[in-house]
Amino acid sequence: MDLLSNLALGFSVASSFENLFFCLIGVLLGTLIGVLPGIGATATIAMLLPITFQLEPVSSLIMLAGIYYGAQYGGSTTAILINMPGESSSAVTAIDGYQMARKGRAGIALATAAIGSFFAGTVSTFLVAIFAPPLTIIALKFGAAEYFSLMVLGLVMSIALAHGSILKALAMVVLGLLLGMVGTDVYTGTPRFIMGVREFSDGLNFVALAVGVFGIAEILRNLEDEHDREMVTNQVGSLWPRREDFRAMIGPILRGTGIGSILGILPGGGAILAAFASYTLEKKVSKNPKEFGHGAIAGVAGPESANNAGAQTSFIPLLTLGIPANPVMALMIGAMIIQGIVPGPNVATDQPRLFWGIIASMWIGNLMLVVLNLPLIGLWVKLLKVPYYILFPIIMAMCSIGVYSVSSNTFDLYAVAFFGLLGYAMTKLRFEPAPLLLGFVLGPLLEENLRRAMILSRGDPSTFVSRPISLTLLLMSLGVLVLVFLPAIRKSRDEVFIESEG
Amino acid sequence: MKLNITRRVAMAMALAAGLASAGAAQAEFPDRAITLIIPFAAGGSTDVVGRIVAERMGETLGQQVVVQNVGGAGGSLGAQQVAAADADGYTILMGTVATHALNPLILKQKPYDPVTDFAPVSLLVLVPNVLAVNPELPVNTVQELIDLAKKEPLSFASSGNGTPLHLSGALFNSMAGTDILHIPYKGSGPALTDVLGNQVPIIFDNLPSASGHIKTGKLRALGVTTATRAASFPDIPAIAETLPGYETYTWNALFAPAGTPPEVVAKLAEAAKTAMEDPKVVEQMAGFSATIVASSPEELAEHVKAEMAKWEPVVKEANVSLD
Repeated sequence: MDLLSNLALGFSVASSFENLFFCLIGVLLGTLIGVLPGIGATATIAMLLPITFQLEPVSSLIMLAGIYYGAQYGGSTTAILINMPGESSSAVTAIDGYQMARKGRAGIALATAAIGSFFAGTVSTFLVAIFAPPLTIIALKFGAAEYFSLMVLGLVMSIALAHGSILKALAMVVLGLLLGMVGTDVYTGTPRFIMGVREFSDGLNFVALAVGVFGIAEILRNLEDEHDREMVTNQVGSLWPRREDFRAMIGPILRGTGIGSILGILPGGGAILAAFASYTLEKKVSKNPKEFGHGAIAGVAGPESANNAGAQTSFIPLLTLGIPANPVMALMIGAMIIQGIVPGPNVATDQPRLFWGIIASMWIGNLMLVVLNLPLIGLWVKLLKVPYYILFPIIMAMCSIGVYSVSSNTFDLYAVAFFGLLGYAMTKLRFEPAPLLLGFVLGPLLEENLRRAMILSRGDPSTFVSRPISLTLLLMSLGVLVLVFLPAIRKSRDEVFIESEG
Repeated sequence: MKLNITRRVAMAMALAAGLASAGAAQAEFPDRAITLIIPFAAGGSTDVVGRIVAERMGETLGQQVVVQNVGGAGGSLGAQQVAAADADGYTILMGTVATHALNPLILKQKPYDPVTDFAPVSLLVLVPNVLAVNPELPVNTVQELIDLAKKEPLSFASSGNGTPLHLSGALFNSMAGTDILHIPYKGSGPALTDVLGNQVPIIFDNLPSASGHIKTGKLRALGVTTATRAASFPDIPAIAETLPGYETYTWNALFAPAGTPPEVVAKLAEAAKTAMEDPKVVEQMAGFSATIVASSPEELAEHVKAEMAKWEPVVKEANVSLD
């Protein structure tokens, strides 16, 4: 069979000594930068690009790909241990992962993330190998109207992210949407909400926002409460998941892998949505939805699998169409061009060694990650025992370096400080940062696609319901709304007294 | 007394060291790493060209040329940073048609002057743009596209408002007497995706980014935007063959801050020229469909003036202005 011989070719390329070596370098480096909060894969890959000029094209791309998924992996480590998501997708992991860590279950959370990621990585690598061409066709069917409807679905689902008041969650989504509006309007070039500051003209920096509202806010909160902190650092329970933990993570991992694989294919926002969508789904199907936000293992297993599956399948548009799904993929295209490879549909046929070599290396890389990281869990957890007065200045310094490295803009550092304070105020008032982040990411996409769809249809709004995919997505959003609000309305009647007590 | 001697020795040594370093700075310009600011995010075509050139220039100059991406505001944040940098040649800019012709014309508040705030170093490459359509659009030539556009409403995708590709389309509309609607995207990638999926039928794109799709027939190229056909695609006619006088292209050039000593500028220009003559670079640029120019500083100064003069009426006619 063609596929088998292709995979055999891929594995023979990827398992050469040289390529194994570069794959290892890539995943090691990726894990490292993922663990250092704020320093993203984009900056690292950009810095390493010149080095790759000297390498074989296959080796260089294998290494760069390794950095990318290694960083996804390492990012969840900091999200769990110190509530500091480096990548948008690990923001979801932070919600329950960090709560698990606070309850002394950091080792189990890290192991869950590792196992979920490995499983998702394996499945989605084979999906890439088998279905890359047909899946690309689906991605191309998504026009502005479809993206708009997908974003509506995403926003509706975000309400379920809240584990407190729905009203407060809505307020955070709206604030996120507004923050997402900052910057130059794509269609008219009009600057909005920039208050005369030109650094704002491309919008607020996502990393600055995430590091601020999650990480810095958490540091402030920890510094305020000495007793609370002692409790966190001294309670490190068992490192390895027990049998019931395994049982609790199987379902979420399977569902997360499915959601991530599908959404990862869509260029622009797909992979981010995957983690959020998986969290929402797990909360919905769970028997104890109240556990979510307080250290539910499903809240780590699902989103982690989804984000890793999405990270793998986002290579599909890159390899089959030459279209970047995110900034890291854009850099990979740059690396291919430098090597004299024209990215596009012909890569698979013209460069089978490269195409299948990368795919095979993804699986090898995932295996390396799991082998490397499972023994490291003990070490990471020990990190929590480092006295906080040493740990927090290091974290803050790393964050600042990382945020600055994104676009060499000192203004982003002020943004971190501002959002840190905002995040702290939000914690005090019991507002959740996750819906804010989702609103911030989805808002601009929602608006951009709404307006593009309207321009393309020359002002006719029926375009959203006359296109079948768009209509389906809108109906799904309606369904989720009903599901969310029916029990909420019923519950609010029952629980009004209980809530006023707490 | 003893102390005095040591102090004198120290002073003499400090003086000597100071003189030596001053002498070295004059005799041999790069005595430390040079920063090349690329005013766009990593991964775009300007970034790729910049990184290739930076590496080779570093070898010639004997000092590393460190690339720093300062993206934002269509390239004007990075350009502004170089305009305000010390005029010693250690901070230079990878300028483009956007930073040194279009932005200054479009922006209502001018953050810098493309002529008086910079010392031109070298025009490195010209990159053609291309007019391409989804194969389902029933047109095969520029003329057929013009005829169709006069009969029914059409749209074209570009990498964003006020970009060279948007204005290539605006110039096309104005010369052909058509009114093809502009749909801006955030960058070339998403614009290309929508044209491949036939969400939008027409695109103006950089030739290097579209070339893979043209080769495999996923896009039908109608014409290149340069005055003559591109060497890498001799089968694609120039738009100018249908619309005489039509010419646009994207270019990349090195600039230092105004007031940089001429001998430093000359040394940078020489290093850029050597870099662009390297056979490996020649090969990489050919694969990129870029034409190597590697001009002198004077030629670049003339080029900037000519580009400003060419784009001014187009910008006015397309009625593009940004705050």
